[in-house]
Amino acid sequence: MAVYLFYFLVFPGLLFAAVTGGFLSWFDRKITARVQFRKGPPLLQPFYDFFKLLLVKETILPKQGSPVVFLMAPVFAVFGATMAGVFILLPLFNITTGFRGDLLVIFYLLTIPSFSYVLGAVASGNPLASVGASREMKLILSYELTFFLVIAGIIVKASQNFDLYSIIQLQKDGAPFLGSISGILLFIAGIFCIQAKLGLVPFDMAEAETELSEGSFIEYSGPPYALIKLTKYIMLLILPCFLVALLMKGFNLRGINILWAFLKVAGVVLLLTLIRNTNPRIKIRQAISFFMIWMNLIAIAAIVLAFFGL
Amino acid sequence: MKEFIDLISNNALMANPESAIIITIIAGIILFIIPDKASLAKGILALAVAVIAGVLTAGIYTSGPQKFVPEVWEIGRYLSLRIDNLSRLVLMFISLFSILILLYSIVYMKGKKIRNYYSWILVTMGCSYGAVAADNLLLFLAFWGILGITLYKLIQGGDEDSSATAKKTLIMIGASDSIMIIGIAIVWKITDTLNMSEISLSTGNALTVTAFLALLVGSFTKAGAFPFHTWVPDYAKDAPASSSAFLPASLDKLLGIYFLARIINGMFIPGEWMTLILLLIAVITIITAVMMALFQHNYKQLLGYHAVSQVGYMILGLSLGSVIGIAAGLFHMVNNAIYKSGLFLSAGSIEYRTGKNDIDDLGGLSKAMPVTFIAALIFAMSISGIPPLNGFASKWMIYQAIIDFGGETGIPNKLWVIWLGLAVFGSALTLASFIKFIGGVFLSRRRAELADVKEVPWSMWIPVALLALLCIILGVFATNEVVPRLFMPVTGEFEFSGYWNSGLVSILVLVSIVAGIIIYLVSDIKKFRTSDSFIGGEKFHDLAGYPTPEFYRTFMEFRFLSVLYRRAKEKWFDIYELSKEAVLWCSHGLSIAHTGVLSGYIIWIFAGLIIMLLIMI
Repeated sequence: MAVYLFYFLVFPGLLFAAVTGGFLSWFDRKITARVQFRKGPPLLQPFYDFFKLLLVKETILPKQGSPVVFLMAPVFAVFGATMAGVFILLPLFNITTGFRGDLLVIFYLLTIPSFSYVLGAVASGNPLASVGASREMKLILSYELTFFLVIAGIIVKASQNFDLYSIIQLQKDGAPFLGSISGILLFIAGIFCIQAKLGLVPFDMAEAETELSEGSFIEYSGPPYALIKLTKYIMLLILPCFLVALLMKGFNLRGINILWAFLKVAGVVLLLTLIRNTNPRIKIRQAISFFMIWMNLIAIAAIVLAFFGL
Repeated sequence: MKEFIDLISNNALMANPESAIIITIIAGIILFIIPDKASLAKGILALAVAVIAGVLTAGIYTSGPQKFVPEVWEIGRYLSLRIDNLSRLVLMFISLFSILILLYSIVYMKGKKIRNYYSWILVTMGCSYGAVAADNLLLFLAFWGILGITLYKLIQGGDEDSSATAKKTLIMIGASDSIMIIGIAIVWKITDTLNMSEISLSTGNALTVTAFLALLVGSFTKAGAFPFHTWVPDYAKDAPASSSAFLPASLDKLLGIYFLARIINGMFIPGEWMTLILLLIAVITIITAVMMALFQHNYKQLLGYHAVSQVGYMILGLSLGSVIGIAAGLFHMVNNAIYKSGLFLSAGSIEYRTGKNDIDDLGGLSKAMPVTFIAALIFAMSISGIPPLNGFASKWMIYQAIIDFGGETGIPNKLWVIWLGLAVFGSALTLASFIKFIGGVFLSRRRAELADVKEVPWSMWIPVALLALLCIILGVFATNEVVPRLFMPVTGEFEFSGYWNSGLVSILVLVSIVAGIIIYLVSDIKKFRTSDSFIGGEKFHDLAGYPTPEFYRTFMEFRFLSVLYRRAKEKWFDIYELSKEAVLWCSHGLSIAHTGVLSGYIIWIFAGLIIMLLIMI
């Protein structure tokens, strides 16, 4: 039991994912600043933000709605992200345990953070948060099918295996899945799903600072908001890692290869950052048709190609 | 209590299905004599009978499979009963739901004017036992037919809407029963036996396919699968919530899916094309019903559509034909009955306290009705498949069964991505529509006229809380205890091909909740203050707001969907309305012959007579 608690709370769970995710968040902000010809924040800025919210800022609870749900929603979000992180990172670091990264389980765990945001937003009783919740839920509906089709494509390529260990092993024995036409298509669809899951521009309509003033999170402050920040850091690490595990052979942790592993994750994050810095926010309707029509078509094409071994 | 169960289960006279059937039906008939004015006494009496029957079925469960053919003259063989691992499981759950719903009804039904409510409930219970225990198809059909009538009787037929719904239900169930009779007749013609346990047909030729489809119609109408589902949402809207929780949500699902399991995994061996049809019906049921649920404003009708959509998952599991698929389908059947009856009972509690049926008129009840709210939240998360609740466990099993199914050869196997993708998408849509239900009713802003709403009396919240607890228990112990103990005896041993340790993850959920509470407590609780919503510095008006039922309006902006919804609203896809049109059209043709001229009628009669004579010669 103690060892599972260690996996969950320390490595590769909460502590590790949060710290690494925090640094990735700095990386994202630094790149953004450079793109906009600014200097950018210092290395530890994400952690200053987190601890300021947790320790210094006061907490304002909504008078309307349900304060209990409002406070518990961020806790569930952290749980979902950490649990999914454990399932994703254990196979990546090649630690064999009772936890095997079952793709179906990971898929469902990854929806918990977004679901919690929606629940917390509705529980705040704020109409602007309601608008945010409505957009977040519609966004979930639009990318969920695509994200699942990407996973299904991987399952086809891995000949009906659906645990991360086998998928990484299959790629290590053969070629990485990215090295085929279907792999590239799956990667494209996957990147956009991750972008939407992270709520980054162009899919940030649920938070939309300029029109809804943070939308879903408008009523959050102090420690509950710190937990939401924490969830975002963790998600910024585990989603790119998930993509690396699915398509890019996972990590090899011997000698100089550690650098490679780091570069793979940083590369995916860099791609996400560049997409977010070169695009405007789109409307929710555009997001729905983008995923429902175009991304689904790409994913289905990839599955058909994968079926014929391309 | 344990000694009592042991005593009864050891007593060969009592621990058999026929005593459970006879006791409940006779008690139901006796209750007809007691006037409805003494409804409290009737309710308590019915509950007592249900508890006795429940103990009997628990005894049947522990004493294992048995067969019973009464030796009464010639007709004995038509009355043969059989208890196997599947039927004893279903019997036990029938008792469980009946007891909980009767307890709930005692207070809930006080003001409602349904005549002989408790009598009909007991008769339903007895007939459900009968249908599940029957081995002979004719006996099964008799019990099954009575269930259609009790379903009709449990709607309050006061106003125009509910009378129309009652009529629709009766006609649809009755029509499906008569189609089933054709199927049974064909089966009897081919195999020369009426005992389910002795039948095993492959769907090779046109005759067996007809029989198979005819029996499927019966099962699908009872369970509420596309396209025979249209009575379920209407029933949910117009019947009292306890009736909806009792029949369409729990017992009809148990029976319909039980019969489906008997058909496709016992009496018939479906071929490739039949499997394809079943899978298609399953995914169409999932998607269409949940898409309708997304736009409902009446929360009972919303739940009714979900009662349909969940059937799709069960059909999906059962029609895969693999051991894990069947176990998953049956597990989902039990799970669905638990959370869906719980949801209907919660809906009944909301209606009982507020008297409103529309999500638009409600809001912010979470503080006023905390038990109902937490239970409803658990049911909603469970039905949407949030780990580690029971809905996730059974869906996860169905999904891995589909992936395994995809590894084999065959046309339906190669299309596994379609079945799996739509099932997963359906579960996301379910989540969306339950955000609407939970958000609109319990969260968001509370209305002024709901200021003095209170929690329901204990006899109403205890059944709901117990069902919520069952959702958690069946989820937490799913992989280690529940599936191996309850479902593996039915289907046979199997190994999971996925990896999910529900117990361990549940402990980690607890750890997270405790850690979260500690963080909130440590981070200086004194600094908490409450304030009204910040809406960008604007003044808050009474009309300002963004009601949850409007959450998904954007989808209506897509022309394809808006056309479909408009057609659905005009009942273009309702098989009841379609067949009504067809029947009226036919009778219109015949009415032309009715001219009212006497000589015309005489010519018709003679012409008919001559034709008859010619045929007979």
